[in-house]
Amino acid sequence: MNRTHLSDDRLIELSLDGSDGTSDAHLAECVTCESRRAALASLLDASALTLNAEADAAFPPERLARQHARIMLRIDQEGRPARVIAFPTAHASTVRVYRRPTRRWAAAGAVAAAFVVGILAGHLTQNPTTDAPATHLTIRATDTRAPIHVAASLSDDELLGQIEAAVGSTGPASLRALDAVTPRAWDVR
Amino acid sequence: MIAAPVAKAPSKPHSALSRDSELAASVKHLVLSDQRDAARERFAELVGRQQRRAVRIAFNYLRDAHDADEAVQDAFLKVFTHITSYREEFPFEVWFTRILVNGCLDLRKARARRLRWALPMPSSPDMIAQVEPVANQPSPEERLMSSERAKQIAGAVERLPDRQRLVFTLCHVSEHSTSEVSRALGLSEATVRVHLFRAVRKLRKLLTGESPSVAVAPRSLLDRERSVV
Repeated sequence: MNRTHLSDDRLIELSLDGSDGTSDAHLAECVTCESRRAALASLLDASALTLNAEADAAFPPERLARQHARIMLRIDQEGRPARVIAFPTAHASTVRVYRRPTRRWAAAGAVAAAFVVGILAGHLTQNPTTDAPATHLTIRATDTRAPIHVAASLSDDELLGQIEAAVGSTGPASLRALDAVTPRAWDVR
Repeated sequence: MIAAPVAKAPSKPHSALSRDSELAASVKHLVLSDQRDAARERFAELVGRQQRRAVRIAFNYLRDAHDADEAVQDAFLKVFTHITSYREEFPFEVWFTRILVNGCLDLRKARARRLRWALPMPSSPDMIAQVEPVANQPSPEERLMSSERAKQIAGAVERLPDRQRLVFTLCHVSEHSTSEVSRALGLSEATVRVHLFRAVRKLRKLLTGESPSVAVAPRSLLDRERSVV
């Protein structure tokens, strides 16, 4: 009888590979080694059983059924685009897939142009002293009159009054006294 | 990751193929022949057959029910959208497991990124069982998980390094062979065996309190190992 017991590693090898002739003979004779082998086999069986039970507890049949349904749903959704692509060529021409970018560019161009125009307009109106001087209204009542400078901020009534005054100064001298006592339109506002 | 599209004409499924592989092959042929509704119906059956195994793998790797749910959904969706890439000579379970595990890895990375910006929360093994209570009466699985021994085992498995836990889960929980796991993970079979050996040894140590007599993997395993990723 061989009294040298099998090592732990040899027992593990036997559990993975199955037994061979020499080891079988020893295990048949040695109760100690046989019980160690049986204990290891039992441990491995218990491990497999436990791991399966753990997974099965986390995934009971109801959850598996839901998962199955979800898988099939995702497969159905996955298949839809292929059907759209498979449309006949004649109908495909009516699908305006690539027009949208062109329209988008046109809209972007229009917005950019409006922006530039707005900036230019703003620039012109913000500097009246340099680019937009006061309106020079030249009234030539007679050839000898110097031009009358009228501020651009005058109202219509004031402008007309000044014109009237300029013209009236050349009127008949008999009417000047009456003119002097007559109120101007812009004075009575 | 996902095999290149195969242009060859549909061939008759090999008799040695599993039922799931046959289903996957028929879904592929239906999609190629533009019979989408029929393909969808057949795929629904395939999902039903693989779903339980998929959530077990994803849950044991991610340790979060919501993430596992998302990973499984994404994996099935990816399988359907790439079904024309499926090669019939390759077992569907292996191909699917590879897609699923890659998805789990991506989710895990995303979760790590999220956690960098989130407040830390206290974690305990009890939280896992409380993820989604759906029934008043505890299920047999819940009763089992409430036992002290089950908690110890779950805690010990959780303490395994990621790769060891994944290999252990695939081999012992999903009952894949080391050859299938090596193909699913893109590792050599020797590497898978070393990860598996170390996982079992560590579990044994954690659960029995025994220290292993040898500190490294046996020579027979190490000789076959080319690279451990």
